[in-house]
Amino acid sequence: MSLCLVLSGANVWAACEATNTVPGLQSTSAAGWGVDLQNTRYQPASALDSKNASRLNLKWVYGLSSETPRSLPLVTEDTIFVGDAGRGLIALERETGCERWVYPHEGYIASAIVPGRIGERAVLFFNDRITGLHAIDARDGALIWHAVVDDEPVPWYSGTPVVTDDTVFLPVASLEVGLAANPFYGCCTTSGGMAAFDISTGAKRWYLPTIEAPARVTGSHFGFVQKQGPSGAAVWGAPAYDPKRDWIFFGTGQNFSHPTTATSDAVFAVEAKSGKVVWIRQFTANDAYTAACNIKALNHPNCPEPTGPDVDFGAPVMLVKTQAGREMLIAGQKSAEVHAMDPQTGEVIWTTRLGRGGIIGGVHWGMAFYPTRGLLFVPISDKEVKGFPSPGTPAPGLYALDIETGAVVWHYQRESRCEDDACVFGLSAAITAANDVVVAGGMDGYLQVFEAGTGNVLWTDDTWREYESVNKIDTRGGAFDAHGPMLIDDLVIVNSGYGYVGRQRGGNALLVYQLGEAGPNETR
Amino acid sequence: MTEQPVLAGRFRRLAATGIDAILVPAVTLVLVAATGVVEHAEDFRDNAWMLHVLLLAIGGYLLLNGYGLWRSGQTVGKWLCRIRIARAPFVEVSPGEAGEAGEPPVAPFWKLILIRAWFFPLLFVVVIPWLAWMPILDQGLIFTRKRRCLHDMLAGTVVLRVTRV
Repeated sequence: MSLCLVLSGANVWAACEATNTVPGLQSTSAAGWGVDLQNTRYQPASALDSKNASRLNLKWVYGLSSETPRSLPLVTEDTIFVGDAGRGLIALERETGCERWVYPHEGYIASAIVPGRIGERAVLFFNDRITGLHAIDARDGALIWHAVVDDEPVPWYSGTPVVTDDTVFLPVASLEVGLAANPFYGCCTTSGGMAAFDISTGAKRWYLPTIEAPARVTGSHFGFVQKQGPSGAAVWGAPAYDPKRDWIFFGTGQNFSHPTTATSDAVFAVEAKSGKVVWIRQFTANDAYTAACNIKALNHPNCPEPTGPDVDFGAPVMLVKTQAGREMLIAGQKSAEVHAMDPQTGEVIWTTRLGRGGIIGGVHWGMAFYPTRGLLFVPISDKEVKGFPSPGTPAPGLYALDIETGAVVWHYQRESRCEDDACVFGLSAAITAANDVVVAGGMDGYLQVFEAGTGNVLWTDDTWREYESVNKIDTRGGAFDAHGPMLIDDLVIVNSGYGYVGRQRGGNALLVYQLGEAGPNETR
Repeated sequence: MTEQPVLAGRFRRLAATGIDAILVPAVTLVLVAATGVVEHAEDFRDNAWMLHVLLLAIGGYLLLNGYGLWRSGQTVGKWLCRIRIARAPFVEVSPGEAGEAGEPPVAPFWKLILIRAWFFPLLFVVVIPWLAWMPILDQGLIFTRKRRCLHDMLAGTVVLRVTRV
């Protein structure tokens, strides 16, 4: 296998010089982080199923510049677009991994690559965590426009934008959650929010802060530094778009300081046209937490007291229709709870707790839905962060829930690779479903395909190793986290390596697997 | 007070450096807290806060050490360790001969600030691998026979022991 890889890599590299620089743009693999606008992460255009999963083989590997990639690739008929932190947006030839073009960008691309159209022009959208929203011409990588949210002093663009025909919706978090680690910082005054931009020009249409009341001084420390609040309720995940109502739905994170608000750890329903709030449903009240709490041993003055459990809605909320025809809004929380709501009213239909939860999940980055069988797949991290023991017994792994009732249909869990923090088993990354399978990568570097109905493991690959990459740079796999796999046609495309939180193993491998040919006695 | 022109001991010099390396940041932190330059979200709209903190660090250094350097060539650390910065060259003597060469003058204040003081932040870059050689080289020269760091040579200074007779 390794010999084949070396040979194919060499051949591929030689062919790269003849790469056509213009990507084909007739079809795109996804609408964004959630695969579709409702964030179901179900991929109808995948050929992967329970009968052929065992035939997945590594096709090629591309070495990224970052050891903490966070960009779900976008795939067209002949091109893979991926964000590479520190290098830019890269268009790769789908067949070989050769570069068609690079849009140079030094910042941290922290979103899926999202397709859209401005008239006849095919456009790619992405976020830089600090510098905001970028619209790029998909043909040649030229910048069309760039936009920021100027309503907040320190916005943090972590959630993937969602693009409709005429609008780009941009989730907004806040750097204050980290700035609070500075004891001389007067925590905190900013709010999370959601912004809407005109797709053609990048002009802002509206901005909705998740906390309307202005912050006020609530105390001080060190004699000089003023404590302030309310603050926080950041929006970390992509919104779900409901074309029938013309509404968007999104979840929020915890407050950064006291007093807390009724809008933190909550789900919002908002009119897409105006940004007007339709309803808000809070699930955890009085949750105040900042990065200062991660250094609790120092009795940090910017860790709010009482300290909350930090149980955001980090994963995008999901809009589904059950087999009985009922619409549901599904929200997975870092508390390891999953909530089903009526999208019209926000009324809770069911809540199921699956694990212990904690500051890196519980549910962390994204769930998936299997409409044919009415199953909701939920990855649970339940990783313990040192110094922050969560009450209860960890129960990491993959869960399948009956969408009608929230009852657990099956649960998959296995032993950790080793005892070290970096090897702990748990599913933090978003997962993706297609046909009768679901694909999930663990924090311990194993990528697995599960049979959707039973949870049986159909295929496993250990990516915790060195790779020969087509671009000939040092390339290694690590933890799966953040955006998870992209499935399209006969391909599975996924980043291995993510060193951001939880002392996980970083890595820079963009792995492209392909289904091999069926055997003589096997039907496709 | 009569000063005997005897080179300061290496341990005293390192101890004085260590004391200054604690006191200057401590005073800077107090100034940072009192002025509130990193207290508000608006301070972080751009990178200007870094310049503000740097200016406060310079201010903190001068506040703490400016008078002592001007009057007697001493930072607080050097004052506590009973050593001082003098103009070089002077006639190097052994302890037995001390006093015969007269009293070396205090080094010019501008040299202490504009040349020597630039080396002070170097103490903190030792944690940056590709810059670590600079403070190590600078401070390492203290172990040569003449006990003159790189910043001493550039500023034309020498560090002497203070003896009260």
